[in-house]
Amino acid sequence: MEGSYQNRGYEDLVDDRVSEGVFRVDRSVYTDQKIFEAEIEYIFEKGWVYLCHESQIPEEGSYFAADIGRHPVVVIRQKDNDVTAYLNVCSHRGALLTPKKQGKTRTLTCRFHGWAYGCDGRCIRIKNEKEGFGEDGFDRSQYDLKPVAKVANYRGFIFGSLVDQVEPIESYLGAASTWIDLMVEQSPEGLEVVPGSSTYVIRGNWKMQLENSVDGYHVSTVHRVFASTVRNREERDSLKGLKKTEGGRLVSMVPSGAYDLGNGHMSIWAQHTTPERRPIYKKKEWLQANLPPSHVEWILSKGRNLAIFPNVMLMDNPSTQIRYVKPISANRAEVTVYCIAPVGEDNEARSARLRKFEDFYLTAGMATSDDMAALEDTMAGSMASQTKWSDFNRGLKTMTVGPDEGAKAVGFKPESSSESWENETLFYGFYRRWRNMMTCSGD
Amino acid sequence: MNINQELNFEVTHLINKETTLLDRRLWDEWIDLFTEDAVYWVPSWADEEETVNDPETQLNLMYFRDRGGLEDRVFRIESRDSYASLPLDRTVHIVSNILISKVEDDFIIASANCLVHSFGKHGSQNRASLYDFKLRKLDGDLKIFQKKITLVDDQLEGPVDIYHL
Repeated sequence: MEGSYQNRGYEDLVDDRVSEGVFRVDRSVYTDQKIFEAEIEYIFEKGWVYLCHESQIPEEGSYFAADIGRHPVVVIRQKDNDVTAYLNVCSHRGALLTPKKQGKTRTLTCRFHGWAYGCDGRCIRIKNEKEGFGEDGFDRSQYDLKPVAKVANYRGFIFGSLVDQVEPIESYLGAASTWIDLMVEQSPEGLEVVPGSSTYVIRGNWKMQLENSVDGYHVSTVHRVFASTVRNREERDSLKGLKKTEGGRLVSMVPSGAYDLGNGHMSIWAQHTTPERRPIYKKKEWLQANLPPSHVEWILSKGRNLAIFPNVMLMDNPSTQIRYVKPISANRAEVTVYCIAPVGEDNEARSARLRKFEDFYLTAGMATSDDMAALEDTMAGSMASQTKWSDFNRGLKTMTVGPDEGAKAVGFKPESSSESWENETLFYGFYRRWRNMMTCSGD
Repeated sequence: MNINQELNFEVTHLINKETTLLDRRLWDEWIDLFTEDAVYWVPSWADEEETVNDPETQLNLMYFRDRGGLEDRVFRIESRDSYASLPLDRTVHIVSNILISKVEDDFIIASANCLVHSFGKHGSQNRASLYDFKLRKLDGDLKIFQKKITLVDDQLEGPVDIYHL
């Protein structure tokens, strides 16, 4: 972590006394708008954030409009296949340069006064330049687009940082990179975002969305009804094969685990009771022939949720998902979900993957909608400052410092391992990273 | 069949009845309006201007290849165990612009617009949809054989279930 300690009053919001058996977080981290604004400045605008997946910008000139904190940015594919990003802002008067969220173009042309920029960010045309700026000595390059300081592509997942002083993406992702690898290596051609997406606005804090995605403890209460609904469906319709949905993890005590992956990244897994219902199971033989046995075991048998600090979640369960969270204010966040799938998947598996996605992962689905309702109630309750601590003590006494056997087998090194996905020790890493960035990001 | 006043009345009656049963929460009667193999499709948006166009290989908000998908939703609502469905939002559907565009053997192609006002934890909300129906005459009864709902809203707040559409 770059920068020196600055006391901005955020240190005490994380009550980190693990040796005394206590880890809790002041709920004002969810509710206080001043804290939110500091998060934008010290976390989102001073470190790596996820931008998009490379399949969303497949060809030269393909662009994707994203955000880093308050800064609109545009990620764009170059002639040499390289990926760059610029502030998505005209150098003239500040209008956004992209007409759509995603598209393909030869130039980024401002629709306000017609200034144009090449895909390489150079200002290539100013409307009526000579009449306005004269013919001699005018240097158009002063108006080139401002590049995003750092852009990195980790196996197709593109990250950006507004500041130069960030560690290389590989060391930032650290142990989380193994979890990304376990998704990417499912196809020799990598992954692709499937057409279509859904965006929903939650009345909650952005961190609650991160927490929810790696909280195994709520599953057997909030998603009990999902499990009973699919069980009822399977009995009613006598479903077979991929049309059946994995429900065992949701209701029974299956082997599971939780990891504090370091740098704020977190993950949980739970054993599939019926892995043959997962679309990837059709590729079992290919996986066995091409990957180490420990990877095959993790890919086929363990449902996995990964939260990458601070704004993206990758799920590999019955279906596969990118969940992107954009903070709006202390009590609002915008969440966009995409289905990501192995390139070259056959239609039966792709269709099964999408149907399982639609069943569970959408605000129009039968589980994410329940998650959102629970999250929004938690936000409403967090306004009660007389009861100020959110408790994360579950599993504190039983956690393993460093990797457990499962982590060693597949080769990643978490800060801590927990033997149940119901445990909350993974959040220590998240809130320590949060605290460090809030107090140590240098100015 | 020809497009005539009688058919127009029958189609209008069915479409109005469908949304009325949703607002009155008469779920079983609602499901009975669909054929057993009815397809129910709510596409997601591929970009700002177009929805996805192949429900099998692209992401939808809902895509049920038979009536069982609707039965799942009703099962979940009636379980009273769904966080998002307790309390249940109140809804009022306003349907208009009902048009029959084509009649082919026992099938009728029709469209309509629908504005759904809902009230619940998120306060009052209005969402609008384009309805595209394929109806089927089965043993003298007119039933819904396909319903496609193009929800024009994105950036959705709160749950979106069958009664919100």
